[in-house]
Amino acid sequence: MFIKSVCTVLLVFSSLTIVSQENLYSSSTIPENLKKSANAVVRLNDIDVSLESSKKMVIKKKSLITVLNKEGDDNIDAYVFYDDDVHIKELEVLVYNKFGDLIKKIKEKDFKDISAVDGGTLYSDSRVKYLEYTPIDYPYTLEFTCETETGNTAFIPPFSPITDYFVSVETSKYTLNYPEDITIRKKEKNLEGFQFEKEDTIGKLVYKVKNIEVYKPEDYSPSFRNIIPKVLLAANQFTYEEVYASVDDWNSMGIWFQENLLNGRNHITEETKKHILKLVEGIDDPIEKAKIVYKYVQDNTRYISVQVGIGGMQPISALEVDKVKYGDCKGLTNYTKSLLEVVGVNSNYTRLYASPSSQISVDKDFVSFGGQTNHVILNIPQENQDDIWLECTSQKVPFGFIGEFTDDRDVLVVTPEGGKIKHTKKYTTNENSQTIEGSFALSDDGTIDVTANVVSKGIQYDNKYWIETETARDLDVYYKKRWSYINNITINKKDITNNKDSVALIENIKFLATNYSKKVGDRMLFNVNALNRNTNIPDRYRARKYPLKINRGFIDVDEVEIKLPKSYKVEALPNKVVIENKFGHYKEELTVKDEKTLIYKREFMVNDGEFPKEDYNGFRNFYKEVTKQDNSKVALIKI
Amino acid sequence: MKSLFLFMLLSFALTAYSQNYDFGKISKEELQEKFNPLDSSASATYLYKYRRTYFVYRQEEGFSIVTDVHERIKIYNQEGFDYANRIINLHKYHNEDEKVMGLKGYTYNLVDGKIEETKLDKHEVFNVEQSKYTDQEKFTMPNLKEGSVIEYKYKIESPFYWNVEDFVFQYDIPVKKIEASFEAPEYFNFKFNAKGFLIVNPKNTTKSDKITFRYKEREGGNGFGNGVVRTAYSSSNLDFITNITSYDLSNIPALKEEPYVNNIDNYRSAVQYELSYTKFPQSPIKYYSTTWEDVVKTIYTSSDFGNELDKTGYYEDDVDALIGTVSDPLKRVALIYSLVKSKVKWNGYTSIYANDGVKKAYKDHVGNAAEINLMLTSMLRYAGLKAYPVLVSTRQHGIPIFPTREGYNYVVTYVKLDEGIMLLDATSKFSLPNVLPTRALNWQGRIIAEGGGSELVDLYPKQDSKSTVFMMIDLEENGDIEGNFRSMKTSHDALTYREQYVETDQDQFLEELENKYNGLEISDFKVTNALDLSKPVIESYKFFKESQADIIGDKIYFSPLFYLRTLTNPFKLEKREFPVDFVYPSSSTYRVSINLPEGYKVESTPEPVALMLPDNLGVFKYNVLVTELAVQLVIDTQINTPIVSPLYYDTLKEYFKQLIEKENEQIVLTKI
Repeated sequence: MFIKSVCTVLLVFSSLTIVSQENLYSSSTIPENLKKSANAVVRLNDIDVSLESSKKMVIKKKSLITVLNKEGDDNIDAYVFYDDDVHIKELEVLVYNKFGDLIKKIKEKDFKDISAVDGGTLYSDSRVKYLEYTPIDYPYTLEFTCETETGNTAFIPPFSPITDYFVSVETSKYTLNYPEDITIRKKEKNLEGFQFEKEDTIGKLVYKVKNIEVYKPEDYSPSFRNIIPKVLLAANQFTYEEVYASVDDWNSMGIWFQENLLNGRNHITEETKKHILKLVEGIDDPIEKAKIVYKYVQDNTRYISVQVGIGGMQPISALEVDKVKYGDCKGLTNYTKSLLEVVGVNSNYTRLYASPSSQISVDKDFVSFGGQTNHVILNIPQENQDDIWLECTSQKVPFGFIGEFTDDRDVLVVTPEGGKIKHTKKYTTNENSQTIEGSFALSDDGTIDVTANVVSKGIQYDNKYWIETETARDLDVYYKKRWSYINNITINKKDITNNKDSVALIENIKFLATNYSKKVGDRMLFNVNALNRNTNIPDRYRARKYPLKINRGFIDVDEVEIKLPKSYKVEALPNKVVIENKFGHYKEELTVKDEKTLIYKREFMVNDGEFPKEDYNGFRNFYKEVTKQDNSKVALIKI
Repeated sequence: MKSLFLFMLLSFALTAYSQNYDFGKISKEELQEKFNPLDSSASATYLYKYRRTYFVYRQEEGFSIVTDVHERIKIYNQEGFDYANRIINLHKYHNEDEKVMGLKGYTYNLVDGKIEETKLDKHEVFNVEQSKYTDQEKFTMPNLKEGSVIEYKYKIESPFYWNVEDFVFQYDIPVKKIEASFEAPEYFNFKFNAKGFLIVNPKNTTKSDKITFRYKEREGGNGFGNGVVRTAYSSSNLDFITNITSYDLSNIPALKEEPYVNNIDNYRSAVQYELSYTKFPQSPIKYYSTTWEDVVKTIYTSSDFGNELDKTGYYEDDVDALIGTVSDPLKRVALIYSLVKSKVKWNGYTSIYANDGVKKAYKDHVGNAAEINLMLTSMLRYAGLKAYPVLVSTRQHGIPIFPTREGYNYVVTYVKLDEGIMLLDATSKFSLPNVLPTRALNWQGRIIAEGGGSELVDLYPKQDSKSTVFMMIDLEENGDIEGNFRSMKTSHDALTYREQYVETDQDQFLEELENKYNGLEISDFKVTNALDLSKPVIESYKFFKESQADIIGDKIYFSPLFYLRTLTNPFKLEKREFPVDFVYPSSSTYRVSINLPEGYKVESTPEPVALMLPDNLGVFKYNVLVTELAVQLVIDTQINTPIVSPLYYDTLKEYFKQLIEKENEQIVLTKI
């Protein structure tokens, strides 16, 4: 009797599992709305994190992903990073065909096992095991099971159901179990509008979300990182590479960081000290001293990354950098800071998230050791003016110039009094300028002879300063690409001056282009804007989803004198154009100076800012109009 | 006496100006040099590269191969800092591996007129397990500055004596001096192959060598624990000849990338040594490879090639069922070709050998290039056709000029029919007979006959890839255009199109197409024959695009190809060193018919033109016909030869210049 009932229960239970599993393994059960534009569908993602103590964390992950096409192969996410402190307990993949039949079983030993280093890293003790799978047919479903155990509790994985663009989610679940004596901080982002379930009791936190359609990339939109739903998590007590921490806010995080990871790493040899002190002899102004030290660092070190154990977060000592003359962002920043100490200038080690495409801030209200930063720079606090920020990994950027990589965002500054959130330098529209003063002479055979002086500042400087060190051959190709709308260019002069004091790049260019104008019978047509044509119109979307975000503004001002060919005179000129709107403005005017000379003036300005998605079309139309005006032509007729 | 004096003076002068390449003997001149006088754009230069590869014998382990390396590099500026990073790849297989020994390195700087040296520390050298078959020894030189000279040396000992790393003589930075040598005992016969644009001439010499074998014997005693036991040592010598090839090169220019080059390594100067046979005393000759016949034989008799070709059991039932009632050979080929394409998917690996075997590939529905095309060949044979495997070197792999086993890395299938010959590759779903995927289009392949003989076959397609575009356009008075677009593509153009179209989401494909033409607005988009490979793939849509004409005064100016016209010349460099690679012959045709806005008539049109490249390399024909209400544009272009010699570069550049100018010429309309 007893046995029978157990059997029945088992039977019922197992048939239930089979039914529910079949539902997920077969690709025919994917809801239509999740298939739309999707490369892959996360049928189920179940992450179970057990923070057993501040010294031990076990992460179990099970995910079922159905891949719909070739692009989706990159979304199987069947990999796991490990090192001396992260042990893999279980790793397995099962592959199912579209009908839900099991077709392949892949064990841990069949995973590829390689050193996890990127291009800029010489050595890292981090390794990765990943699956290399060739699908036979689409769709297919992959069941990934992985369990790891680690003594590092500083990084609790976030709940982040959306893994990529073009990947939808059917169900994603996250569980965190933790001891009662540990406090968990959490920060929920972009959860509005989703079907969420949440369970928050002492010692246990559960999130579950269902039915998220794909995210598609769009031009001029906020960064992916800032739009996806996410819950960030951190514990107030944690261990990092066997160093224990107890922190509640950014201030105490800063103190802990200073005491455990920075203190004692600032020694400099007497020899170097003497050398540095000699360099700043007779100089009192702290900024001038800082400039000299910064130049010394730029001239004597280079960026090489070596990551071993605690070195993932702790800089190598200033002594070591002094010896080998290289380091990563942490090591070079700490070295610069240590040298500044020698000359009596205070500076602070600063952690932040570096990303050139858009500015990503450290969250003021959510304190965590990791996960929010990927780079280190140096902060020199100032009393009555803006702080100075130093990028210590580049041998080329001017003192105090940080550019797109780290501008305009909240960062964690580790001061002797504790951690503080500060905001880095923002480059405003008017600072990001490009000024062209030029002239071109058009000859009877249609050739133009162009002279241009281009001065770029701010972010426009950042975009171009690297050309200073290009070889003549590469520079030739660079200019031909920059003016790719003009064919048959011969560049005759390319003088580039990088003025690091005023942070300006000055280009003096001369070039010839044959057949620039088009001859049509007795007429000659030519485009007045030879030097700065906008050719890029933002992409069109059938249904725009995200707000319009312009990360950085800019202003271009051009003034060009045009000499007409001997045998032609003006037949028709384009009209003056002024466009003004909330995004910026565009002004274009062609005036006759004398019979043979025209003056072309153009000003194009776009402001940074965020606008509702409804404004995107207007913004795109603005660019379309600018592109059209930049193509306006002058008609000449034979005298 | 006088002449002796002169001689001494002369030799003194020579020494004073000659470089000292001994390790550590860095000169101030080297440190002071600000740029390479022969190539001022170089960010760094190999001042000296030394390599000696030779054999050593150890009684317990047998032969192994040792390579001594010594390099001295001048770093002129920050762009050259990367040359201070060194990665040494070390192979391993089963329990044997290559080892680095005696690594020593120094960075030299000139400080206040004095040479300062910084040693590379042991703990600054890292060993990384890169994969199951490769370890890496990595380091970067310390205390590096603009102007530094770095120098290091090390030794690699390898048990894999049949695998000699290529001697490379040309790099992306210039080299001032190279000294290299390869020394092999007479028992090892190596094939020597030089490639690249720069000619190298080795010097061949020999030297006498010997191996001493030592023996140890215990003698004496009576077996009962009595008597004196002695250990006696004896030795015998084996004398032999060592063959040496050595290289001494100076001032080798940097090799620079150019667009439209299939693989720059084809032109890099290098020498390969491949073991062709070993002949040890009192042993028979063991062949590795020496002629193409041997190469083919080695490959053919290898169990991962020939045997795989002979297996039939795993597919017999399927193939019987498929072709049972079909007797037409051509139809049989078609059926079997699509069977393999649909059954087995390519896993992205190139190889001339089966990895898991054809049987497993067939069962698991996935395999490498050899498995797939050996299977195809085997099935075709089984069906009574004359089918042969063809060895190919992929574009990425370079061109096989010399007979080596490593020369080929890919397999396709060759079929001989009464109607003619056919090349097949079942790794791509969309490839067709005689339309191989681009990766396989690399010069010639080698057909392997049943007996093991071989002959060459040209892999490039004989037929043009054709692309035909028809457009009907209404031009509005404000310069906007609206109309219908229809294109037909065959062969490689169709292959490329299908690969992109079929594997992308349709919405995304459309958005990408619209954005490629900068805001073209498309509706009624349709693709026909995307999966029916027997027909050309046809794309059609309706479109709208703003401001495609200039309106100046009462005239309208436009170029009749509108958004499809070529805008920039792909050939931007002033000079060209290497052949231009167009991949396959192609022809394209445009038929554009433009309805004029009401109230306008044609004032002028561009002149018709026909441009010809020399030696029938290519043609461009352009013509505009005018009727009362419409304009017809007809353009025909052809590139007949996939590979064009750099001798034609100037002509080719000029041809493209004129072609682009013609496509951009304007039609003028005027108000009636």
